[in-house]
Amino acid sequence: MTSPAIGANKLTLTRENTTILDAISIDIPAGSVVGLVGRNGAGKSSLLRCLAGLVEPDSGSSSLLGCPSLELSDAVRARLGYVAQAPDLFEWMNVYEHLCLVGRAYPTWDEQRCLVLAARFELPLGKAVRELSGGDQQKMAVVLALAHDPDLLLLDEPVSSLDPLARQEFMRAMFGARAEHRERTIIVSSHILTDLERVVSHVAFMRRGALQLFDTWDAMLEYLRLAPVDTVVPDKAIICRAAGAPSMVIDIRHAPGAASAGKVMTLTELFAELNK
Amino acid sequence: MDFDISPNAPTPIYRQIVEQVRRMVASGQLKAGDPLPSVRTVALHHAINPMTVSKAYSLLETEQLVVRLRGVGMAIADAGGTSPKRDKLAMLRPALDAAALTARQLGLDDAAAMALFQTCLDQLPLKDDHD
Repeated sequence: MTSPAIGANKLTLTRENTTILDAISIDIPAGSVVGLVGRNGAGKSSLLRCLAGLVEPDSGSSSLLGCPSLELSDAVRARLGYVAQAPDLFEWMNVYEHLCLVGRAYPTWDEQRCLVLAARFELPLGKAVRELSGGDQQKMAVVLALAHDPDLLLLDEPVSSLDPLARQEFMRAMFGARAEHRERTIIVSSHILTDLERVVSHVAFMRRGALQLFDTWDAMLEYLRLAPVDTVVPDKAIICRAAGAPSMVIDIRHAPGAASAGKVMTLTELFAELNK
Repeated sequence: MDFDISPNAPTPIYRQIVEQVRRMVASGQLKAGDPLPSVRTVALHHAINPMTVSKAYSLLETEQLVVRLRGVGMAIADAGGTSPKRDKLAMLRPALDAAALTARQLGLDDAAAMALFQTCLDQLPLKDDHD
C-alpha cells in the first residue's frame, strides 16, 4: 500500500478560542481530484493553508507526497502547485516577466508549456500585472501553479472570478500538460458545484471546521438518497438529519431496503441538505 | 462519434458513457471494429476528468463489449465473440418504469399513457435494424 498523496491526522486549529479546524483526518489517494466544499467560514482555506505548510496547526499533523507539511523539502516543493484565494502577485512587472521570474524557481518549468497555457487563457503578456482585471489575475495565478507540471495541486477557489468559458479551459488545463502516465493529485475548493461535478473523483464536505463527509463522488451518487424522515433505516445509515426537516440524507449501503424510498441528489442538492 | 454527457445529471458520468455504448451497440449504430474516441478526446471535449472516461471504458472492456487494440485505442468487440447479446427490451425497461411511475402519480389512465408513448415513437424516424 502506498502512502496517500495528501494526509491529515487530527489536524486542529484554533484562533482566539474559536475552532477553525476540528480534528480533521483524511487520506487522499494519489491521482484523486477532490472537491473541497462547504459554506463560507467552514474552514476550507484554513485546511488548504495547513496542508501547504503555511499555517502551523495547534495539534495534529499533515503531509504532502509523504513529507510533513511543516518541513517540506525542496524536492517536494518543486512538485507542488498552490493557488491562494487572493493571488499574491508582483504588480509592477508585466505578465511575461512575472511568469519567467517564477519559472526560474522551478527545475521542471517549461517556458513553452507556460506560454501555451497563457495563450489558452488569453492572458495579455505585455500588460502590467497591476492593470489586469481580477479575472485575469486569477488566470495568471492558475498558469503559475500549472506551468511546472506539478504532481500535486492545492487550489483555493481558483476560478471564482472566471467566466464559464475560462472555467472550462481551467478544467481542461488541470488534466492536460502532463508528461505521459504521471498521476496528478488535486484538491480544489469551490462554490461552483456544477463545475466540480464534471471533474472530481472525490468530494470532501466541511462544516464548522469539521470534515462532515468524504467519499468518491460516484459512490455518493450511487448510494446517497434524500428520504422522508419517517423512513425506517438503521442509525448508521443516517448521514444527516436536520431538526424539523421533512427529509434526511441516508446511505443505502447500510439500508438496502430503502433504495427506492428516496431520491438521488445532485451535488448542489446534497450541499443544501448537509448544511441545513 | 461523440457522447452525449450531462455532467450535472444524477447519473454518474461513467455510467452515462457505458449505457450509451451499450445502447448504440444494441441498436447497431456501433458495429464490431468501430473505434471509440480516445479518453483524452472525450475528456477535453466535455471538460471532464479523464479517469472517469477510463473507468467507463474499462467497465465496457470487462463486459467484453469493447476491446483494447494495441496502439489504436478502444474499438467495439466482435459481435460473434463471447459477449451475450443484450436484450433490447430489458434496456428500454428502466426508462419505461420511470414513465409508468409518473403516469400513475398524475393519475393518467392507461390508454392515454400508451397513446402518448406511440406519439413519441411516431415523432422519431425508424432506424434500420442491423440484425
